[in-house]
Amino acid sequence: MIHLKMNKPSPKSLYIHIPFCAHICKYCDFTKLIYNEEFAKKYVDVLLYELDSYHIGKVDTIYVGGGTPTSLKDSDLKRILLALKPHLNDGGEFTVEANVENLDANKLDIFKECGVNRISIGVESTSDKMLQSINRHHTFKDAVSVVSLTKEKGFDNINVDLIYGLPGQSLEDLKTDLDNILSLDVPHISIYSLIVEKGSMFFNMGIKEQDENTSREFYELIVSKLREAGYERYEISNFAKNKRYSRHNLTYWKDEEYYGLGLGASGYLNKVRYKNTSSLKKYLAKEFIDTKEEVTPTSEMEDYLLTNLRLEKGFKKEDFKKRFGVDFEMKFKEVITSLNKNSLFSISKDSIMLSDEGLILLDFVLVKLYEYC
Amino acid sequence: MEIDQKYIRNFSIIAHIDHGKSTLADRILELTETISKREMKDQILDSMDLERERGITIKLNAVTLKYHAKDGHDYMFNLIDTPGHVDFSYEVSRSLAACEGCLLVVDATQGVEAQTLANVYLAVDNNLEIIPIINKVDLPSAMPELVKDEIEKRIGISCANACEVSAKTGQGVDEVLEMVVRDIPAPNGDYNAPLQALIFDSYYDSYRGVIILVRIKNGSVKVGDTIRLMAANHDYLVTEVGIRTPKELKKNELSAGEVGYIAAQIKDIKDVFPGETVTLATNPAKEALPGYKRMNPMVFCGLYPVDSKKYLDLKDALEKLSLNDASLTFEAETSQALGFGFRCGFLGLLHMDVVQERLEREYGLDLILTAPSVIYHVYLTKGEMIELDNPSKLPDLTTIREIQEPFVKASIMTPKEYVGPVMDLCQKKRGIYIDLEYFDDTRMIISYELPLSEIVYNFFDKLKSYTKGYASFDYEYSGYHAGNLSKMDILLNGEPIDALSTIVYRGNAYERGSIVVRKLKEIIPRQQFEVPVQAAINGKVIARADIKAVRKDVLAKCYGGDITRKRKLLEKQKEGKKRMKAIGSVEVPQEAFMTVLSIDDEE
Repeated sequence: MIHLKMNKPSPKSLYIHIPFCAHICKYCDFTKLIYNEEFAKKYVDVLLYELDSYHIGKVDTIYVGGGTPTSLKDSDLKRILLALKPHLNDGGEFTVEANVENLDANKLDIFKECGVNRISIGVESTSDKMLQSINRHHTFKDAVSVVSLTKEKGFDNINVDLIYGLPGQSLEDLKTDLDNILSLDVPHISIYSLIVEKGSMFFNMGIKEQDENTSREFYELIVSKLREAGYERYEISNFAKNKRYSRHNLTYWKDEEYYGLGLGASGYLNKVRYKNTSSLKKYLAKEFIDTKEEVTPTSEMEDYLLTNLRLEKGFKKEDFKKRFGVDFEMKFKEVITSLNKNSLFSISKDSIMLSDEGLILLDFVLVKLYEYC
Repeated sequence: MEIDQKYIRNFSIIAHIDHGKSTLADRILELTETISKREMKDQILDSMDLERERGITIKLNAVTLKYHAKDGHDYMFNLIDTPGHVDFSYEVSRSLAACEGCLLVVDATQGVEAQTLANVYLAVDNNLEIIPIINKVDLPSAMPELVKDEIEKRIGISCANACEVSAKTGQGVDEVLEMVVRDIPAPNGDYNAPLQALIFDSYYDSYRGVIILVRIKNGSVKVGDTIRLMAANHDYLVTEVGIRTPKELKKNELSAGEVGYIAAQIKDIKDVFPGETVTLATNPAKEALPGYKRMNPMVFCGLYPVDSKKYLDLKDALEKLSLNDASLTFEAETSQALGFGFRCGFLGLLHMDVVQERLEREYGLDLILTAPSVIYHVYLTKGEMIELDNPSKLPDLTTIREIQEPFVKASIMTPKEYVGPVMDLCQKKRGIYIDLEYFDDTRMIISYELPLSEIVYNFFDKLKSYTKGYASFDYEYSGYHAGNLSKMDILLNGEPIDALSTIVYRGNAYERGSIVVRKLKEIIPRQQFEVPVQAAINGKVIARADIKAVRKDVLAKCYGGDITRKRKLLEKQKEGKKRMKAIGSVEVPQEAFMTVLSIDDEE
């Protein structure tokens, strides 16, 4: 158990992990289990116990992710959301992730009742053939009706997820996907290139990721099409209209602390990054935390750059100096000079950010910065 | 006070690599109760981490033991460990010169190997009493009788009294100790003669200066004496003498027959070299002891600090290392690509490897090594001859009449079923056939003259894979022969990189060139622009590969839980970068400079 130090401001964000899914998607490497009613009920009991144990006051953002939170039956889902509700500040953001196949009117009513005000829907692809091939049990038509039902129920802060670079996808397919996604008219879109992670079915099947040139071409199309449609790419893979950013995810991207609860969840408290156990057995026995790692001045700076430079607006010079006691431009003078020959940075009077090219080569840039952290 | 030499035995253990030399030394240490079981680390004489990790002995190491023999007397044993690899035969001869006898360990499952022979000859040269020890007799595949027969027939040493032991279990080791007492002659120095002590090793201690390890042949030395290093003709005041058990144990005096250490505030490392004789300034010996035959380094490479600010640290470290590694030579050199560094000479590749690792571990240096080279004799049209140890320094082609390269005479012992493949390999390596003879019923000795550069290149690895590891190998320098040789340059982004130049045999230059550029393409990380890699001979490009520019390099997703994982991924890349050297606008990893070596020419 990690206890807060008295004089520290407590985290403003809370993440809750629901590991259950009706089906396992082939690309997924998150902590997930096939839904089982008995275990799910026990899980919720223990999750509520874990929540209590943290003595969390009020937070600005709550995010219930998975797995598939909507795979839970209504009563279990409601128990969790009701327990979370009192922890949300006025004007706070309360997001629940949902899968097209099990988001229905009843669940949306429960969300409303519990104060949920943002829904993140996993659409992933708009090609039915592709959806089938990644083991998603819904069609794009289902997605269209779920999104409109969500809107009808009074939710206007909606995100949809899309994956590109799936095996066999062409640039034309991507264009169609983008047109279809835009037709949903939601304020937030997350688009990720397929990463074949260890632990996913794709990895075990030997599926390869797109080559760099194709991936870049796809990415450039995405950015230009979404910008044209009025979306701002505020983070490498995230697009928002009218500044309806994911406030919760911005906590991560600004490298701020947060609570993480549930099976396999990660948290960041009092300069300690921790990860909960991924073993359901241990979790149910209330052995929550699996690993802890105290950040060092070096790792903290590395994490800060890794996260903040993902944002199109980067970070404020002043914030960096306040947090690390050094001037970014002084500390990284040599790297900036060498990288800026190729215009990877775009430095304004107040902020440090990467250019479009820099964002696309972020890891390349980070490795160079890390040498000086 | 004079020590009765009757009760001293000075001996070494010699063996082929892996025949159990260090394990036997450990058992002896245990049985003489020099080291309690509690203190016992495996292979205690292998004091370098490197030695323990690789399971090989690199440096000789001496220890004094007390043994209570069955005749009722206490004996002082000085056991001097020796390395078993061909690269280090020089170290073996150093240990042997300090002894009266040696234990010859032969693996009962393997029999006599090429290295066994080489070491035995060294012992015979030093007039040592040799006691054969048949080790690993506890293994089911042991054939002690056959092995004894082989030793008698092939080496000519009687095995009537050979000990059968298992160093692993300790079986028979007590008998070995009795044989040491009975069969190895006691030293017979003259206590009253002027001091003559042979330096066989030394190391640096930041408080006491250079500590020298000596065998006192005649006379004695005590604290307060003024000693003289005879070749250097420098005098020093002795501050401490003692023996190593293996912990240092101070004594008042070391006298004839003993092995021990002397500290005399010797600050100038260059004064001390193995084979030097120590005497007393007040009553000097008339002549020095016969020193060692100096071993000339055979393999050279450039050694550069990754961080050019560390040049002086590297110099300091090389000086200290060479103190107890007499066969390591170094000389300042400059490379356009790598800056200031040293051209270093080694006995062989393993030696080179070991020096690199010691410099990195013991002195915390990050190094770049260039591809190893041998010494070429370059005859100029004007009649002059240049000894070339750095390929990039090859003079202009029009001024060269002929290039000669060093050859070695290699003896390869192999089971007869591999004779075909081994000869095949030797032919491929431009070998000149000398002889083929039966060693025993199942094994043959193949003799070839081979270019040393081919041995350096990948001969060992090839030999191992051609014979499933059954062949053993020894070589000695044989002379220079002219060859059809050229300098191959490697160009990065159009610029020749001097540190990557090598001398190649024209017959396979194209092949080697294309493999090198392909390898470099794999190793050199992509940059933001395309980088062509070319191999050229006499300005003519013979091979090319292009390192594609990096187009997209970003993690798709980054949420809370991912951060540590992604950071670790990036840190790994960062670690890799530490060993990179920026050459022009291209960052080149350390291993790139060795690619010319590590490539397989039969891909």
